[in-house]
Amino acid sequence: MNEILFYIGAIMIVIGGICDLFGALGLLKFPNFYIRLHAATVGTIGGAVVPLFGVGFLALGSDFLPNKYAIAGASFVTGVIVLLAAPAGAHALAYAAHKAKLVTWEPKVDHLAEVREND
Amino acid sequence: MSLESQFFLLMKFVIPLYLLAFIIYAIRAFKGPAIVDIILAVDCMSFDIAAFMAILAVYFKSAFLISAAITLALWAYLLDIYIAKHLVSKEVGA
Repeated sequence: MNEILFYIGAIMIVIGGICDLFGALGLLKFPNFYIRLHAATVGTIGGAVVPLFGVGFLALGSDFLPNKYAIAGASFVTGVIVLLAAPAGAHALAYAAHKAKLVTWEPKVDHLAEVREND
Repeated sequence: MSLESQFFLLMKFVIPLYLLAFIIYAIRAFKGPAIVDIILAVDCMSFDIAAFMAILAVYFKSAFLISAAITLALWAYLLDIYIAKHLVSKEVGA
């Protein structure tokens, strides 16, 4: 049972590292801010939430940690906080950038501007 | 092979991935054209440093690093909300 929890946590940490690297590469290479938000989602949800839950499972399954329940519980709490806070913060940034007209881009459709003109 | 030695073998592969990702986020944070790009890069880097700090808490067998991770995640969310409020209404407010 301990070994199963440990290996699940290790696999989730490896997935988190790979998602983190791909999210960083996308944030560097994508052309404008609204497309970079997609890579930022890969970097936060895949690169922070998944390894935080993985650290929780790994700490619960390990037999070499002196205070494993404190580390596991705080890891789960941090994972839930990041899972709730990252999309809300990214959405607030996107709304502010659109409202302040900071980013130059060539949109095919812009539903937010259409709705605001109809108001 | 015990679980502890397996964990340290895993860390040899995982820690370079995270450090490379932090360097690439820092490049985007330094050269970002608009202010929202800089804030987005700092935001992603803060959340990922929180996850990396949880991994380091297991690596160093210490429970103090993990409480700093909670504070860092909440601080990154606060940075987003304050910058968005400042960009929309030209003031931060209460």
